[in-house]
Parts: sequence; structure tokens; C-alpha cells
Amino acid sequence: MQQIIDFIIRKKDVVVYFILLFFSIILTINSNYFHKSKIILLANNISNFTTERFILFYDFFDLKNTNKKLIAENLILKNELESIKNKPFIDSISNANFSYQDAKIISNNLSSFKNNLVINKGNKDGLKEEMGVISNNGVVGIITNTTNNYSYLMSILNIDSKINAKIKRTNHFGTLQWNGLDTSYVKLTDIPETANIKVGDSIVTGGMSLIFPENINIGVISKIDKFKNASTNRKNNRSVEIDSRENYFDIEIKLHTDMNTLKHVYVIESLNKKEFKKIQKND
Amino acid sequence: MISVYFLIIRRFIFLVLLQGLLFNRFDLFGSFDPFIALVFILTFPIKINRVTFLIISFCFGFCLDLFTNSLGINAGACITAAFVRPYVLNFVFGSFYDPHGVKILKDYVSESTFYQQILYLYTIVFIHHFTMFSFEAFSFDLTLLVLYKTFINSILSLIFCVTLIYIMIENEK
Repeated sequence: MQQIIDFIIRKKDVVVYFILLFFSIILTINSNYFHKSKIILLANNISNFTTERFILFYDFFDLKNTNKKLIAENLILKNELESIKNKPFIDSISNANFSYQDAKIISNNLSSFKNNLVINKGNKDGLKEEMGVISNNGVVGIITNTTNNYSYLMSILNIDSKINAKIKRTNHFGTLQWNGLDTSYVKLTDIPETANIKVGDSIVTGGMSLIFPENINIGVISKIDKFKNASTNRKNNRSVEIDSRENYFDIEIKLHTDMNTLKHVYVIESLNKKEFKKIQKND
Repeated sequence: MISVYFLIIRRFIFLVLLQGLLFNRFDLFGSFDPFIALVFILTFPIKINRVTFLIISFCFGFCLDLFTNSLGINAGACITAAFVRPYVLNFVFGSFYDPHGVKILKDYVSESTFYQQILYLYTIVFIHHFTMFSFEAFSFDLTLLVLYKTFINSILSLIFCVTLIYIMIENEK
């Protein structure tokens, strides 16, 4: 016993190191859970508050670009309005499935594999988990966590994010994933080889979930590969089972949204969510 | 002794804010942020004993985590860097390294060769980045990607860290 205690005292830095390492691994694994603990919430609010004040300085120098973007968006909306005006009947009731709210990005990191964003609206403004977030020209992410004043998004550039998407021309559905490296490209999987697709086809949201409305722009196809990526090939060799994914395309997509310069976003609230969940429960 | 702790607190606050508010937004070449906050661990006074050093660097990493909303990742990487530092110092500087910490940063720079300095800095930066990205990925499927990112990001960080260290030496008494 004496020897064990002596050993611990002699090697106390190693012991302390492993205790701290263990603690940080637990923090990493449960980071979603710990977001709900009071102390971390307070600390996080302080860091968000600091950043929020600090970006005011950044924003000032970017006003010119922001204005340009707004004018471009206005132009598109005006053209759309013009095309609606010419139609004889406008059914204003049936279209109101989604409502939009504006928000501002406080922090946006692109350097990790699991990128997160923080926006300046939270529970107080009626934001909840699993709401979609878009920018003026594409999908940005999905809300994973909300506090009173801030919301945390899982960015589209997160290796865990899976977003339902489709090819606009042929209506084939697939899943969007990020490969973890290039911030302007994502991958679309699960498109069968029989699909007649070309480089340059545009990709839009699928509307299979209630998070995003249908036909929101995501990007265009920039490269089509017939083969799967290396990791699935390696698994193929080991197992005897035939990989059913072999008959699918591996498609690279260039995003419309430039995540680097993102400032203002829109949060989408699905108004039919309650109803939809009720139906799901009954099943 | 009190003045040393005062220095540590000053660097702590300065580097957390510098990294959290400014350097996390760099995104060079798309997705690489230079990790300049590592200067805190690289130039930490040697006088202070290892256990205190580990605990302080854990707090340091935790504060950085709050800015990136990734709990535990920076903390784990920072304590690993802090843990290996005495061994790396011993390995690189050999007999020149004195564990009692009479020498200050300036002596290390002026009395060692350029290769020693770069070896010391790069080893710790590499270990730190490798731990950080491994923690982030948290799976063996991404090992290649982790190595690739570690390699590029550590070189970028090294350049920025060396620059900041040289600026700090100018001001050291």
C-alpha cells in the first residue's frame, strides 16, 4: 500500500494528466448534454456576448458587401413577384406552411470536422431545435441547441450532418454529406446509376422532411464519380457480403453559399410540424 | 513569484481573446485556422511545477473551447501539449535544459541553435494539433484526413507562433 501511494506521489503529474484527459474526453462525448448545465451555459453566454460585441466592428467594414447582396436578393424576389402577379388566382392559404425569421451569425468556424455556428436568436424569439437555417442563396444548417438568447446550429459542413436533397431536373433523391476538407464542396450519395445526370445540374432540398421547404437551392454538380470512396472499398474487401451501394453515383457538389462570408441568415419554422408529429404518433 | 503568476494571467487573457475573437475567423485556404494560443504553453515559465501547469493549461483550453463551442477538444489537446513539454525540452535541449527554471525565454533563444528551436516548437505544435483533430474526429475512419489536416495546420500555426514569440522576446525584461 505504501508503495502504491509513493508511486502516485512520485508520478503525480502523470496521474493528474490522465485525470484531466479523462475529464476532457467525457466533455467531448457529452458536449450536447453539457450545454444544458448551468455553469457552462453561463460561461458560453459570456463568450457569445463578447463575440457579439466584437463583430459589430467587423460588420462596419462589410456594409458595402452586405448592401450588394441585399440588392441582388431584392432583384430576384421582385422578379418572382412579377411572375406571380400575372397568374389569375393566388391561393394565399395553402402556401403558408413555413414562416421565416431573420438572424445574425455570431460565430462561425470552418476549421474543424464538426463545424458549428451560433446565431443571435434563441428561445426568446421562438426558435426550437430541428429548425432549418438558410442564407439568401442556399442551405446553411440545422439548429441543434437553443438557449435563451442564442442558438447553436450544426453547419452543412459537419461530418455528422445529413440533409435530404434532390436533383432538380430528374427528381432523384439523395443524402448530402461533407467529406471534412473542402469548405465549398459537399457530396451527394444514394443517387442510382440509372439516373440520367450531368455536370451542371442543380441540386435543391428534397422536402422529404419538415425542416426545409422543397426547392431551396443548394448547389450544382461539379463532378460525377461512379465508384465509392476509399473507405467503403476497403470494407468491401473484408466482408463477403456484396455491397449494395456499388450501383450508386458519388457526386461532388459545389455549394452556392459561401460559408466564409456568411453574415445574415433566415430561420425556417415549419407551421405544420405539430400536426405532422401527431400523425406520426398515431401510426 | 507573484509577478510570474501575474504574467501568466496577463498572457492567459490576452491569448484567449486573440485566438477566440480574431484567429478563429482567419480560415486561411478555406478551412485552416492558425492556432496562435499555443504560445501560452510554449513559453510557459519553467519555474512553476508540472501539476499546476497541467491544471492551468486545462483551464486555458476550456476557455478556448467556449469560443468554438466544442467542449473538451482544446482542453484535451492543451493538457497533452503541457504534459509532453518537459520531455520535449529535455530531449531537444539536453544538458542545456534546466528544470529549475533560472533561465528565461531569452536565454533559450539566444543560446540554442535555430534547428533546436524549430524542433522544440514543431514537436509540440504537431502533438497538440494531432490530439486536437483526433479528438474532433473521434473515429479511426478519418485517420488520413486527420494527418493531412494536422500537417498543414501545424505548419501554419508554427509560422504565426514563431512570429509572436519573437515579438514577445523583444519586450521581455
